Amino acid sequence: MIISSAPMRISFVGGGTDLPDFYTKYPGRVISTAIDKFIFIAINHAPFTNHVAARYSVCEEVSDPSELKNTRIREALLDLGISTNIEIGSFAPIPARTGLGSSSSFSVALMKGLNAYIGKKLDKREVAEAACHLEIDLVKEPIGKQDQYAAAFGGFNVLQFDPDGTVSVEPLLLDYKKRTDLENHLILFFLGTTRDASSILTEQRANTERNFEILKRMSDSVPVFKDALLRADFQSAGEMLIEGWTMKKQLASGISNSGIDRLFEIAISSGAWGGKMLGAGGAGCLMMLAPINRRVAVVNTLMVGAKAEGFESACEIPVGFVQSGAEIVLNSNGR
Amino acid sequence: MERYIQEFSQSAISLLRNLPKVEIAKAMNILQAAYERDGRIYVVGNGGSLALATHWVADFNKTVFSHNLDGYQHRFQAIRLPTTEEELTAWANDVGYEMVFAGPLRNYIQDSDVLIAISSSGNSENIIRAVELARSQKVPVIGISGFDGGRLNPLSDAKVLIPTMQGDYELVEGVHAIVLHIFTKYFKDYFDNAFLLGKSQVHLPSGARLNSADHIHVPQ
Repeated sequence: MIISSAPMRISFVGGGTDLPDFYTKYPGRVISTAIDKFIFIAINHAPFTNHVAARYSVCEEVSDPSELKNTRIREALLDLGISTNIEIGSFAPIPARTGLGSSSSFSVALMKGLNAYIGKKLDKREVAEAACHLEIDLVKEPIGKQDQYAAAFGGFNVLQFDPDGTVSVEPLLLDYKKRTDLENHLILFFLGTTRDASSILTEQRANTERNFEILKRMSDSVPVFKDALLRADFQSAGEMLIEGWTMKKQLASGISNSGIDRLFEIAISSGAWGGKMLGAGGAGCLMMLAPINRRVAVVNTLMVGAKAEGFESACEIPVGFVQSGAEIVLNSNGR
Repeated sequence: MERYIQEFSQSAISLLRNLPKVEIAKAMNILQAAYERDGRIYVVGNGGSLALATHWVADFNKTVFSHNLDGYQHRFQAIRLPTTEEELTAWANDVGYEMVFAGPLRNYIQDSDVLIAISSSGNSENIIRAVELARSQKVPVIGISGFDGGRLNPLSDAKVLIPTMQGDYELVEGVHAIVLHIFTKYFKDYFDNAFLLGKSQVHLPSGARLNSADHIHVPQ
């Protein structure tokens, strides 16, 4: 049995500049952190079953991996040449499509685990690239590379996407005091599961030329945001999140909607400094930065406002930052 | 004689002023990630560096949580290798001195672990063997070296190099002791702070929580 894990992530600014249509012309940048919500993948060698089992929100049992409906597991098994006698299960503390990058965390944990299963150990960069290859080249998702790198490396990072396709990872060296301080100022408020982001990302990619100047500003705002975090100036950081979110909304239609815009307004009027949506398509998580003494008021106001806007499952998700990236939690298959 | 003392301390002060802060910070992030996944930290060194390793392990395992020993579900697991003189001499006598660290490390090492390698020259063959083993397993390496860093520094994920003239063992080992104490002090403050805040309902990939609420009773 092998159990691998990878964290979900919160991205602060620069999201969208990790798409090749942009970064081949100008360096893309994203600042993000891993959070204490993990996808776990369990992989079992089942020599007497002669089947491939994939157990996630549904259970699939097939005789050949090509018959699997789960695109990521199917393509990963085919790519690695694993054809039978394997059972794969995934586990997570919160549902998929919350805007926390969980699908890439899934791919990262899957590639880390499956490679360990065939006796190949991957370091952080190798597993990030393996997950990118899986999602972008094999499954053909219209996504960038930020989420795979965030999940594989863990911790706070500035990711830079260079025109030649390389990704550099600069850890943001925040000490525990600043990290705890930021956790205490940060509100993660779940509104509801997002639609498939593919259609929005496809439109966003098509609009890259038109949006080039906006994306450039988003990329250039990353070092400024980083400095605000290093100074523990969370008010400036919150205001920059609003600017970033306002820019992001212009990239494609359907990223936000009037209900979300109203929730933003009431959060700000309750004392929040600023924030953004994590996830596209009019749902996901609202992330706000607020003074500590306004936290409870902001959350309470959001609870009432979200119900009024029809977000029935709205709730606060307590969140902590972690240094962990892609990990092998258990490997009883030998070393 | 005072002048001699003054010159030595000036050299030490200069090294301390120019500590590789970014690499030390990276090393502490590596240690934090190991804690979060409940991994173990192996420490190896020869001679004075072995003494530093042993001293650090004692501090780190105990002192980090000393203000709230019951307050955490799990603690750091730092292990000096080899753990006994018997094991050290057995490997040295039966196999060769170059295997005194890599041999025992092979028994223990798992994916979730970390290796700290301490070598003033960075060139001790037995240290390099242990580092190469860790790297082959994709286990992160914190390399603590002196002089020009030798072979150890480029092989490390966190490259804690205290640059001196060749052979300045006293300065290098003295500053290495400070670096190791920074590791201990940082995490001691970190867990004290988390305990005081009652914070740290942070979930860890090991399944545990960095938590002061769920006490495990440890008989005193």
